[in-house]
Amino acid sequence: MADPELHVKINSLICEGTAYCVRINPDVFGIGTDGLGEVLVDRPAPEFEDSLEEAATLCPTRAITY
Amino acid sequence: METIRDMEPPPHIIGIKHFVDYKTVDEILKSKNFRQGSHQESQPFFGDSLLTIDHGEHFERRRLEAPLFRKEALEYYEREELLPLISSSLEECEQNRGADGLVRADLCLLVRNMLARISAVTTGIDGVDTPERTDAFRTYVEQLGTGATVEWSTEDHGEVIERILAIRQGFVEEFYGPSVERRCELIDQFRAGQISEDDLPRDLLTLMYLHWNEDWDDELPLREATLYTVASSQTTTHAVPHMMMHLHEWFEVHPEDYEKRFDREFLKRAGHEAIRLHLPSPALLRIALEDVTLSNGIEIAEGERVACLFTPANRDTSVFGDDAKSFDPYREVPDVKPWGFAFGGGEHTCIGRTLVTGLSARTDGDEGTDGTLVNIALALFGAGIELDPEEMPAFTELSYHDAYGRFPVILRDL
Ligand code: HEM
Repeated sequence: MADPELHVKINSLICEGTAYCVRINPDVFGIGTDGLGEVLVDRPAPEFEDSLEEAATLCPTRAITY
Repeated sequence: METIRDMEPPPHIIGIKHFVDYKTVDEILKSKNFRQGSHQESQPFFGDSLLTIDHGEHFERRRLEAPLFRKEALEYYEREELLPLISSSLEECEQNRGADGLVRADLCLLVRNMLARISAVTTGIDGVDTPERTDAFRTYVEQLGTGATVEWSTEDHGEVIERILAIRQGFVEEFYGPSVERRCELIDQFRAGQISEDDLPRDLLTLMYLHWNEDWDDELPLREATLYTVASSQTTTHAVPHMMMHLHEWFEVHPEDYEKRFDREFLKRAGHEAIRLHLPSPALLRIALEDVTLSNGIEIAEGERVACLFTPANRDTSVFGDDAKSFDPYREVPDVKPWGFAFGGGEHTCIGRTLVTGLSARTDGDEGTDGTLVNIALALFGAGIELDPEEMPAFTELSYHDAYGRFPVILRDL
């Protein structure tokens, strides 16, 4: 991986606010006032990597990168 | 011929509230106040499958199945399965060389064969390996697809269901049963410590039997497998001929772009446009979970079924521009997905989208895969695809789907 640090982003173009990421990882993701996903911690500690992978793969619209 | 048609909604849609503008369709698909409303009649084929369950149950099922679509899994399918399957399907076409030395094929059939094999791999159906077995499997999937989309059939619906259930028995005996048996044996070996998890196949059926849920009925994996085989093959097989037809027309008007037929980024955009214009079914149906007032003021009563007509929504000029009803691989639409609602929206958004568009689409950053549309188009251009001047493509008349039924081509470089 080019950058060993995690850098979480939600692409608001394709996020549909299902909040599936929040169910997987409520410390990192929330839902903003616009009803779409929101990154609460954009540089989480490395131990979050596995759960971020799960959230990114499970996201129905695949809006998450990290 | 007219390649972008106005699709009339099927008769049973006319009687229910239906929406054709992008904004309202978007609102309904994203809303948690609606649940899935499609596939009411096709329960024997799709009942309790991912597509028909909602909210908490849906989240858990998607969570179970998500590993099939991890980045590594997508890369594996593309490199190890899709590319060899595309090549072998094209090689088989060479057996149909005519007296004039040219290879002719029906693109619909060719793509159906390619997709049948890749869908067998992701679902976990063994033995789809020779032309004869592929043909048999593909025929079953097409029949199951007719049952699963009986809502859109122009035939008597009850008769269709009865006929297809009988055919499904043959599918179980010939393909599904032996595949499940092999997977269960492998899972037993894994549990006994004789093989590692990496030795298990990476497919839907293995996942389901490995993580069996006591609430499931014994036939659920069959219905889930039916969903996967039908959803993965029939959609893409409809999309590829549209994409190739639009590119053919585009290159006639823009000959300077012909050299871009091997340009992945150009093909990716062409694929997005093709699926934006031609949707996999006439409508996405939803049922209101409570009384809802939409932002346009329209009221929907609890339990009411509504139809999102995503073909007109995907051609909404207020979103895609004045020329929304035409194909333009250079289209730039800043605030929406390039494919619009082609993969649905909200919770039920297509789980296989990244198989189709790749993970390197504009919306996924710059990593990953190219997806089936680009890879198939590249291979077809590599094989020198041309329309056959002796026989023009024709749309299907067997359903309300926006799909070609016949698409004769010459593969000049084979
Ligand atoms: C061009 C190709 C494809 C198109 C246009 C397409 C379109 C769609 C659409 C519109 C839906 C949502 C239906 C609804 O909300 O009622 C959907 C769901 C689904 N698709 Fe696709 N699809 C394609 C390819 C695939 C592939 C390759 C797979 C392989 C696994 C697949 C599997 C599924 C499944 C399992 C669902 C149900 C998802 C859920 O309900 O959570 N599709 N697809």
